[in-house]
Amino acid sequence: MTTQSTAARRGYAGTAARARRSALGASIAYWVRLLLLIAITVIFSIPTIWLVLTSLKPEGEYGVSPIHILPQNTQWVNYATALVYFPFYKYFMNSVVLATSFTVLTVLSSSLAGFAFSRFRGVPGRDALFSLVLATFMVPYLVTLVPQFMLFAYLNLTNTYWPWILWGIGASPFHIFLFRQFFSSIPKDLEDAAEVDGCSKFRTWWQIFMPNSLPAAAASTIFCFTWVWGDYLYPVLFLNDDITTLAVKMMTGYVDPNGNILYTLQMAGVLLYILPMIVIFFLAQKYIIQGVVTTGLKG
Amino acid sequence: MPAAVGRLFRGRQGRDTVSFYLFVLPWLLGFIGLSIFPLLVGLATSMTNYNGFNLDNLKFVGANNYLRAFGDVDVPFSLWRTVYFSIINVPLGLALALGIAMLLNQRVPARGTFRTIFYLPYIIPIVAQVWIWRIFVDKNFGLLNAIISIVRPDTAIGWLVDFPTETLIAMTVWSAMGGAMVIFLAGLQGIPNELKEAAITDGANSWQVFRNVTLPLLTPVVFFQLVMSMINSLQVLVAPMLLAGKQLGQMPARDNYMFQVHVYQQIFVNNRYGYGTALLWLLFVVIVILSLLVFRSSSYWVYYEVEQEGGQK
Repeated sequence: MTTQSTAARRGYAGTAARARRSALGASIAYWVRLLLLIAITVIFSIPTIWLVLTSLKPEGEYGVSPIHILPQNTQWVNYATALVYFPFYKYFMNSVVLATSFTVLTVLSSSLAGFAFSRFRGVPGRDALFSLVLATFMVPYLVTLVPQFMLFAYLNLTNTYWPWILWGIGASPFHIFLFRQFFSSIPKDLEDAAEVDGCSKFRTWWQIFMPNSLPAAAASTIFCFTWVWGDYLYPVLFLNDDITTLAVKMMTGYVDPNGNILYTLQMAGVLLYILPMIVIFFLAQKYIIQGVVTTGLKG
Repeated sequence: MPAAVGRLFRGRQGRDTVSFYLFVLPWLLGFIGLSIFPLLVGLATSMTNYNGFNLDNLKFVGANNYLRAFGDVDVPFSLWRTVYFSIINVPLGLALALGIAMLLNQRVPARGTFRTIFYLPYIIPIVAQVWIWRIFVDKNFGLLNAIISIVRPDTAIGWLVDFPTETLIAMTVWSAMGGAMVIFLAGLQGIPNELKEAAITDGANSWQVFRNVTLPLLTPVVFFQLVMSMINSLQVLVAPMLLAGKQLGQMPARDNYMFQVHVYQQIFVNNRYGYGTALLWLLFVVIVILSLLVFRSSSYWVYYEVEQEGGQK
């Protein structure tokens, strides 16, 4: 009896000590995690912070040794100069027009195909075609891009935006996959109800599925737009200097008449060039992350 | 025959078939016109001496372009550089993404803010990435050497010349990590807590919980990221070229002479379309073989919940 209660008491005391120790351990682990995260944050942000600092220096302050970490003579005017050093607005609009037309077409045709792959059960050929969609992920892009370049040149479509229109209509496997994954999570009841009401498949897609898939549509729109905005290779191969995009001009736009790079102006230009992407990201972060997760998790 | 075809399109099933093909029509046309047809054109080109101007006296050269690849010293060299880049870039990027996702999946303050900061480089376009890294690692005026100079005075390492592939890897990991991290974090958050609690009740420590519960449940996500990251890494092209100069076609540092850079040089600089497309088909074959190997290996390490459920029921 006594031994038993002693044992019980000792056991209880042991548990309490263990609990105290583990509470202490948990608190140490918490601070270690936090410090680790802050350290990684610093390391990850340093290159971007250096971009911002450099963009604020007068050109003479970039090439000095030892380097100035902070600008001694802050030049906000760099941003204004960067906007007029070459026709920034014109190339900005080229990017906007190209990205918008490609995006609208890709989102529509990809969601049509995604709807078909997710909502038509038992149609002959459906699964085989969907395997083809997934198989295109494995094809290196240059394998189709080079012959496309030859074909578009042959058809006199280079130096026009037609290739982007055609690519847009042709949809993108990634976006088809995104819409298919999202549509698959919409309950069948919704579709059945529409059918009972005599809704055609096309109207079901446009009036029921699309409005109920705004997160997917938003994510898809943003991914398309940012892809064109950031793409360098396709416009450099397909477009001449007059109708090319801002991305291409970003590589060569900020040089003095002797061809020397004007670094601080260049960095101000780069910052202005990525600013729309950052704004879009903060406005639509929820949808972007949901979109990334939809395609990345259910693979 | 027409009657049979007609029957195929009648009734509910038939109507569905028709609408299905109407829905996928834009994609299907694009797939045939912009993927299948170019693939065939590319395959045909790879067996000719096409140089961009000689459509009138095109010669069929059979497998010559492919055989030539085996005598081209730049092929094994660029292939090795690409493999070297991928073999470090892929595991490093995924491990870092997984590690950070696991940190964020624990009790931490401002989880959303951290996630945003780590994700931000992922939305920076390639051209901007290249400029950011060029001034960051600049030999004389870069911040990196200045930071290293704090502990090792007068450091002037020419990163882009002496360590070009390492710089390329650092830039790629920095920019791509966020995408994988967000996916891993969502995957971790999708793991039911009961499973972990059950393991802890059974006396598992946190390493054992990670090793035997968390990691197996996350393997399908890791697998998908591994395949995509591998395919992307093997195709690296724009980054090594732009890190070296202001436009494509400029020779990157020798160590950054990746396979696709070699292809680009052949086609767009030397106008060797036939040889270049042959090289592309070789790369295609390499990527398919490697992907199939990874898919094959998946039965040994990727955990599929579906099978488990099927087995229990």
